[in-house]
Amino acid sequence: MDLYDLREEFNKSGIMMCFNGPFYHSIIEEIGNAVRNHLAAENITQAVLMEVFAVYIELVQNVRNYLTLRGITRPEVAASIITIGRSGVGYVVSSGNVVMNADVESLCLRVDEVNAMTRDEIKSQYRKQMRCEVKPGAMGAGLGLLDIAKRSSEKMTYAVRDLDATSKFFTLSAYI
Amino acid sequence: MEPIYIKATSSSPEINFEPDNNVLRIIGESYPENSFDFYAPVISWLKATLQELPELTLDIAVTYMNSSSTKCAFDIMDVLEEAHWRGIKTSIIWRYDRENERSYEMAEDFREEVTFPFEIEALST
Repeated sequence: MDLYDLREEFNKSGIMMCFNGPFYHSIIEEIGNAVRNHLAAENITQAVLMEVFAVYIELVQNVRNYLTLRGITRPEVAASIITIGRSGVGYVVSSGNVVMNADVESLCLRVDEVNAMTRDEIKSQYRKQMRCEVKPGAMGAGLGLLDIAKRSSEKMTYAVRDLDATSKFFTLSAYI
Repeated sequence: MEPIYIKATSSSPEINFEPDNNVLRIIGESYPENSFDFYAPVISWLKATLQELPELTLDIAVTYMNSSSTKCAFDIMDVLEEAHWRGIKTSIIWRYDRENERSYEMAEDFREEVTFPFEIEALST
């Protein structure tokens, strides 16, 4: 094992922290604490620190809820990646996970839709969505991407890569 | 009326009712594994309790909530709003983190959603 290339790749892309594995709730909490501790050492305000933490939480819980909803539990498929890194003067948080082919298009459309909204539209959509009844069995309130957009300084970006006949690998990045 | 008490964890807040002054306190951070499961008993308790009490204050000191907790907080306020229209004296004290302007904005956004008294105060640290 030689981790040099991995380290070089992290340095090149500005990645400060990375976790690759199952997003269990306990792990989400632990990494979240680590993110906060790590950022506390940077010269940033409490507000920015909490924005990065909040975006991290929304991304990992989105992934976890999706994989649970689709019953994707086999460790080698469910294992997902989260990275926290520097981007320009700010930060970028990215999540990467397996998405079933049938879900990819609607997911990309949803990100495009939120990306096309103005600040005011995001806020009013958020209020509208908050008033909607949550469907029984739903794990989220349909607010995650809007919450991320509210806290972002730039539009979200995504990348899709073919994996096999049934699934793709989806990377979503948010900038703070 | 049943008391309610839920101990805080690192990702879910303490829930505590003080029967002496009819104050329901929610204190901590809120990003539980499943927000709906976490808040469902709180909302049921609140609905039942507001059938029995003439007044209730929600004292909330939650400096971070994830998006699904925000939805649950909205549902809680909806229950208080409905009780307010039935003539029950409901009110909210929302405590924000003065070092995080976003937590003040969140309080303001929530205040716009209700018609009963809603105070915003800085969290004493």
